[in-house]
Amino acid sequence: MTDEALMTAVRDGDLAKLGLLFERHHAGLFDFLSWMTGDRTAAEDLVQDIFVRILKYRSTYRDGGSFETWLYRIARNARADYFRTRQPLEPLAAEAFERPEPGANPMRLLEADRDRLRLKRAMLQLREDKRELLVLTRFRGMSHEQIAGLLGIEIGAVKVRIHRAVKELRDIFLCLSDGNPSCDVKRSTRTLQII
Amino acid sequence: MRCEEIHPHLADHLAGTLLPDVAEQVAEHLRTCRACAAEIEGLDETWQLLGTIPPHEADSPAMRARFDAALDGFRSGFTNTAKTGRPGLLTYSWLGLAAAAVLVAGVALGRQTAPTPEVDPQLTMLRDELREMRQMVTLSLLQQQSASERLRGVSFTSQIDQPDSEVTVALLETLMHDPNVNVRLATIDALKRLSTRDVVRRGVIDALPRQTSPLVQIALIDFIVEKSGREAAETLRRFSMDEMLDQAVRARAVQGLQQIG
Repeated sequence: MTDEALMTAVRDGDLAKLGLLFERHHAGLFDFLSWMTGDRTAAEDLVQDIFVRILKYRSTYRDGGSFETWLYRIARNARADYFRTRQPLEPLAAEAFERPEPGANPMRLLEADRDRLRLKRAMLQLREDKRELLVLTRFRGMSHEQIAGLLGIEIGAVKVRIHRAVKELRDIFLCLSDGNPSCDVKRSTRTLQII
Repeated sequence: MRCEEIHPHLADHLAGTLLPDVAEQVAEHLRTCRACAAEIEGLDETWQLLGTIPPHEADSPAMRARFDAALDGFRSGFTNTAKTGRPGLLTYSWLGLAAAAVLVAGVALGRQTAPTPEVDPQLTMLRDELREMRQMVTLSLLQQQSASERLRGVSFTSQIDQPDSEVTVALLETLMHDPNVNVRLATIDALKRLSTRDVVRRGVIDALPRQTSPLVQIALIDFIVEKSGREAAETLRRFSMDEMLDQAVRARAVQGLQQIG
């Protein structure tokens, strides 16, 4: 059964079908929101919030519309509301970025692991709109067309922005590779912690 | 194809969605343009490395338990669960006053009404309203910045006869996420009277691995040994073997395992 068919059933009163949609999408949403908030607890809360919003606003779901696009539109709104009621995070001290991922043994970090960690740090220093684009296209596997629909912009604009985002990410990555704890390349207004 | 004509195609190049004829034109240009070739090589490298970053791992069982509780609450008609079972501060800020008004109205009505042996429907209605108001006040208090206010919210639940699922979810949320140890400890006590509910027992078991305070961990183990029994055996076993945990916590987990047999 497709997501769209399940959501149509939910809209028409079969609320139990939302459980299947939760199973399919909660992990992806959690990953997206973890990248966008830098806070596991907030990401978990937001996932719950999103599914409650789906219940409340289920009648607004239209036949034929992509469920995933609709879902991530709700997710973006929920995230925007979340930051509206909270102060932006204070930039972290440089040392905070030097911490390895939880559970990792620094002595055993291979070069590839170090690069991955550095790239994660670079992602978190990237401006939010660019980070969001990269998460949607690279981690969530959304097509350029889907992203254009989600953001309400032309496909051509999506492609140009993705190109710029990857380029800027690489610049930050290389800057971090030179030993700089943080790189002031059009940085994000919120500096997030690796989680 | 010239350099500036390459750029619009780079996103498709990275995603592997270039049309064959365009891909051929891009490749042709790269064979002759070192600058573009170097740029694309760098972007490819970054793109590939991005693909090796594992996703943030969700705590799916705990999230599913919260989702089920929220869905139950919604089905029960409490559609204003709103944000993650934690209603906005403003949403309920007027409720303290409203509860007081209902109390005053109740006293006035009581004075005007002669006592009768039958149950007065107006009094029943008033009692229901009062119960609902208490629930709202509880939810409001649990949202406060001040830990002592949240503590009041937790203890207020003892005055509610059969709290609904929205209050139950709010208590489980508090247990999971409240930054104050005392509030979490009080919440464990408050949840004890709701321990006949599956969602509470499951929620408490899910909360155990997320706690870092040994005090809270021990209180939770006490709870689940008393209320959940064998349901929690696996969690206790994991705790008893986790060398990163406080020794007293591990000892309590071992003792708990013996108690539930």
